[in-house]
Parts: sequence; C-alpha cells; structure tokens
Amino acid sequence: MSEDPNARAAALQAELDAVKRREAEFRAKMVHEFLDRGERNTYLHSLREERAALVKRGQEASADLEVLTRKLEAAGRKAEALQSELAAIKGSVAWRLARFFGSAPPPAPARPAEHPPAAGGVFTYYFHTSPFRLYRDATFTLRGWAWPEGGGSVTGVRANLDGRLFSGRLGLEEPEVIARYGPQPANPKPGFEITFETPPGRHLLSIEAQVANAEWQTIMGTSIWCEPLDP
Amino acid sequence: MSLEEAHDRWQESASALGERSAYKKVWDRQAREFDVAALAVGGFIDEETLDQRAQGTLETLRQKVGLNREDVILEIGCGIARVGKPLSRLCLHWFGSDISGGMLGHAARRLKDCPNTTLVELATVGLQEFPRDAFDLVYCTVVFMHLFEWDRYRYVEEALRVLRPGGRAYFDNFPLDSDHGWQVFTQGGRYPLDRRPAHLSMSSSREELRTYLTQAGFADVVVHDLPNGLIAATGRKPDE
Repeated sequence: MSEDPNARAAALQAELDAVKRREAEFRAKMVHEFLDRGERNTYLHSLREERAALVKRGQEASADLEVLTRKLEAAGRKAEALQSELAAIKGSVAWRLARFFGSAPPPAPARPAEHPPAAGGVFTYYFHTSPFRLYRDATFTLRGWAWPEGGGSVTGVRANLDGRLFSGRLGLEEPEVIARYGPQPANPKPGFEITFETPPGRHLLSIEAQVANAEWQTIMGTSIWCEPLDP
Repeated sequence: MSLEEAHDRWQESASALGERSAYKKVWDRQAREFDVAALAVGGFIDEETLDQRAQGTLETLRQKVGLNREDVILEIGCGIARVGKPLSRLCLHWFGSDISGGMLGHAARRLKDCPNTTLVELATVGLQEFPRDAFDLVYCTVVFMHLFEWDRYRYVEEALRVLRPGGRAYFDNFPLDSDHGWQVFTQGGRYPLDRRPAHLSMSSSREELRTYLTQAGFADVVVHDLPNGLIAATGRKPDE
C-alpha cells in the first residue's frame, strides 16, 4: 500500500513546526531563567563572545590575506631578481659557451660501470674520418684501420660513448696501407667502420678493438662536443 | 726512446721544403711517434720538461693578454697540447685545433684526465670549423715560424672572426734580432740546400706581426719583446 506523499509532507511539516516551536520555547525559557536569576548580562556576554569570536576570525582571515599578499610581492621581487640574473648570465661566457653548441649541453650521463673505457692498447692506426671535430649530426661514421703493435688479429671493433657501445664492421680492404706497411698476416684487411650516435653535449669517446677474441683495448680516447641538431 | 734517437727519427720524418704548404702531410709525418712529435713541437720528449716549458708560456699569456677562470680559449696549432693541458685547469673550456690529426691523437692521450678540453682537426689553413664570436682568447704560440706569411695572416684574420667582441688574441714568433732568434736562423742556414726541411723555422719582424693584426682589424695592437727571445703581438677584437 502506497502512502499519500501530500499527507506525508504535511506530517513532516507539522513535525518541523513542532521542533521549531519547542526550540523557541527552550530559548525563551533559558532567557527567562537568566532573567529570573538576575543574569541578563550573562546571556548578553555569551552573545558578545560569539560576536568577538567572529570578529577574530575575520581578523585572522585578513591577516592570512596580508601574509599571502606579502608572499606574492616577495615572489614578484624574486622574479625580477632572477630576470636580472638571467640577463647577466646571458652576457656571460658560460652562456656563450652553451650558445656555441646550441642549447646548453646537458651534463655527461653517468657512465655505466659495466662499460668503462677499455684499457689503452698500442696500435698502429689511422682514422680516415677524424674523430677530432665538432659533431653536428645525429650519428657519425668513423672509418679507419688499425692493428695491435704487439701482434694478434683484431676480432672486434666498437665505439664506447659514455659507456654506450656501438659495434663496428671489420675486415675492410686497405690496399694502400698494406702496400705501405707490408703484408699483415694477422690483419690482412685492417679496415673498419663504426657508426655511433652523437647526442648533444660533452661525451667521452673511446674507439676500442678486441684482440684475438680476448680483451678489448682502447685504440684512441678523447672528449668530444656534439652540437644540437638544427631544427 | 733516447733524445738522440728521437732527433734521428725526427730528421727521418722531415718533409722537403717544397712541401712546406702541405701542412697536414708534413706534421702528420712528424706525429707518427710521440717522442718525435714532442720533439717537433716542444723541443723536448719528457713530460716534466714539457710541463715546465708550458708554465713559461702560461705566464706570458697571463701577463700579456690575461687568463680568466671564465675564459673559453682556442689554441691554433696545439700539437700535443703542451700548453693546453695545464691551461685547461685555469679556464672554463679549452679548444685545441691543429691541422695534424696525428698530433691530436697524442694530445688526446695527454688530455685523458682533462674533461673541459676539445680537440678539433683543421681541414686546411684557417678556422673554418669554428663559428664566429665564440672565444674569449685565441692564441698561437711557436707555430708561425713553421708557416708561410700568407698563412700566418690567414690565422690572424680567422682569429678575429671567431673571437667575441672584446676578446683577446696572442701570436708569437722569433725575431732575427734576439740572441735566440739569430741562433735559430743560423742553425737553419746550415742545412744543405737540397735537405732543407718543410718545417724549417722562419722568423717574423715586429712590423710584420703588427701589420697582420692591424690589417685584420684588431684594436689595441701591441708588440711585446719577451724574455725568452720571442716577440708577441697582442690585440683586442673591437666592441660591436
């Protein structure tokens, strides 16, 4: 059986009116009690305290607003100082060094411990494409030839850039080198080429060779600069 | 390798005078072995003496053009980085340029613990690898004696281009009228005509160096007589 909503609303309204009436009666009674006890000022005092608390809250809100305003002003002054500092930096050498290579080069990434540059070896070598340059492209291909002065065949070649390894291609013909230095039984085709990435910034590059499938040795190592790519 | 052996190997590595302009070939030949390379560019083969001599060059640079911790510096003809190795500890970044990749290979080994260094192999005479307005100081020491005059001037012109406005330049050579200069001149004269080497040292005059820098457009050009018997010309790139 469904209840009549209008009747239900009328009942709730009547109940609400009754509550309000009881509250009003309670308040009136309390006032009368204060008055009967001669404590009219006590009730007024409680009302004044309520008002003082509200005033205090208002004052605290104003104080908070003032603090925020001061912070905003300080931030503005700091921003101005930073702008001045930035202008000074832009006139500085360090900034020009960064501009020299495009955007400021990021610090060289920490070299993973598992791929530090190999120990230096003694090689007879030559690079057709010099690694001593300002790198301006995303990758660079180094071509050259090498063999260890202590003998042994080169069985691998790679570039180690800050610990990142780039394998190269071995066994390229170098007839002019053989003609000049004589036959190299261990390395009849001593040419190689390695393509490695050149991300912007300063890096440690080492060109490394593996001798007789054993340890890797550094042919040549140097610090290099790579410029950001043109947009 | 003993000093005597190095001298002998150096003589063997010398190119003929007619090849003087083929700087890359001439200096790559002398760079095949470190001791020969060190002898060719520094006159000594042991690291200690090389470092001591470099300190003299640093002092000269400090007095004549100044060295600042914030400087970005370019050396023209750095060879095995005799000067660059100690200088890199006194500046923001040191660039060493040389026409010989072989020399730079030796320099790379000497600079393995100097991260604020960069080596650049020059394709030919000039500084075409570098952009304009990049450096605070460009210097070229104990190089001009191995170059023809036109190439000396080319490097002076190029130094002006790659220096920032206000940047400083330094070039030195030996003159004929110092004891040291006359000694170098007479030693060179003792070579038989047909065996004069391509790297034979040839002098500069004060007027020559002053003219180079003035004609190139440098300001505040001064020619200095140095205690070691060399002469040096210094100048400043005018402000824009």
